[in-house]
Amino acid sequence: MTTLPLRAIAAALVGASVVLRLSPAFAHAVCGDRIFPATLAIDDPGVGDELALPTLTYLPSNSGGSQEFDATFSWTKTIFPNFGLTVEDGPTWQRPGGYGWESLNTELQYGNFCVPDHELMATIGATIIWGNTGAGTQAQPYNVYQPVIDVGKGFGDLPKSVNFLRPFAVTGELSESVPSQAWTNGSQNSTNINWGFTVQYSLPYYNSQVGEIDNDFFKHLIPLVEFAFSKPISNFAPGTNVTTGTIQPGAIYMADTWQFALEAIVPINSASGRGVGVVGELHFFFDDLFPDSLGKPISKWGQP
Amino acid sequence: MIRHSIVKIAASLAFALAATAAYAHAQLEKATPSVGSTVASPSEIRLKFSEGVEPRFCAIALSSESGATAPLGAPSVDPADNSVLIAKVAKTLAPGVYTVTWHAVSVDTHKTQGSFDFTVKP
Repeated sequence: MTTLPLRAIAAALVGASVVLRLSPAFAHAVCGDRIFPATLAIDDPGVGDELALPTLTYLPSNSGGSQEFDATFSWTKTIFPNFGLTVEDGPTWQRPGGYGWESLNTELQYGNFCVPDHELMATIGATIIWGNTGAGTQAQPYNVYQPVIDVGKGFGDLPKSVNFLRPFAVTGELSESVPSQAWTNGSQNSTNINWGFTVQYSLPYYNSQVGEIDNDFFKHLIPLVEFAFSKPISNFAPGTNVTTGTIQPGAIYMADTWQFALEAIVPINSASGRGVGVVGELHFFFDDLFPDSLGKPISKWGQP
Repeated sequence: MIRHSIVKIAASLAFALAATAAYAHAQLEKATPSVGSTVASPSEIRLKFSEGVEPRFCAIALSSESGATAPLGAPSVDPADNSVLIAKVAKTLAPGVYTVTWHAVSVDTHKTQGSFDFTVKP
């Protein structure tokens, strides 16, 4: 049912790309004067050659009541300009619960749609979480299909009378998770709607557009807050259609070829977990590190 | 076992990164006149980027509040540092607010752009 609005959004985006004569952007989520950093709770609005290794997450008490530690990696490889494949996986430890290995998660992404003057960027994707690829506590015998749209908007187009607001940017993500199997071992596998957004204040943008920052550390810092939510919308057990989610305040240090992000994880309710967790990620931009090999599309087909 | 594999992957990656000359998107680190500053009429616009740039594919434009273009020389890089792009200001600027607009192409062909204001004091 809800795939229709997503399809409509995707169709509208493609239509808009023709009407607005969108300029292509390339890897590293650059649109106009804005560089959107890689964020943790939701994806950034670009497609590029990049590697997140590792992403380490600690939750003192997850939604099941277990203490949880995850160590995952995510690699995105562009196949054509603006079209890439992401592969994500990694182990999980729970107490109680024990060891598990996450199901393989792949996403095809197409986009880097960009309106440079308005720092407006978007990418669409199709994710599959593959059944029977996990192990232990994370074993799952069915696939999950997930259409995704990611958008970003920088506020560099605000008037210079409010110059201090121009480093702000917001990004957002909307997806729907559809399991391939309605029931497993007598339990319902619900269809979920997922949404999230980030609010960022880019000090690199401030330094280059608004006013010079003398401190070399702060001029690379992007303070931000991420919000990520999920809610079952069909095929859920009675009483379980509760919105779960996290609020994640933190900061990203953005260097030239890599970035490091550190965020607190605050559950929004008891169904989302208890206590404050933490997530950290080291992220490498392969388009910058290996521009002539790993960091460029396999084929130039479709390059404008 | 898995922990050892992750350590091996991380070590291999660290070696690969250390062994490869890395380039990146040229981001503006520092400008002269400084971003948002108030100065006497400058003799040149000097932009220090995070990476080396290709002056043939870079541009710097200077305009006054009224939108009039101020004459600048062709951009060139500092012979001692190819991450510094320089354009000479051809004549003394009248007091007022000026906007520098730049486009840069780093040595690995990544494009970046930006703009900032400075004020020439009376």
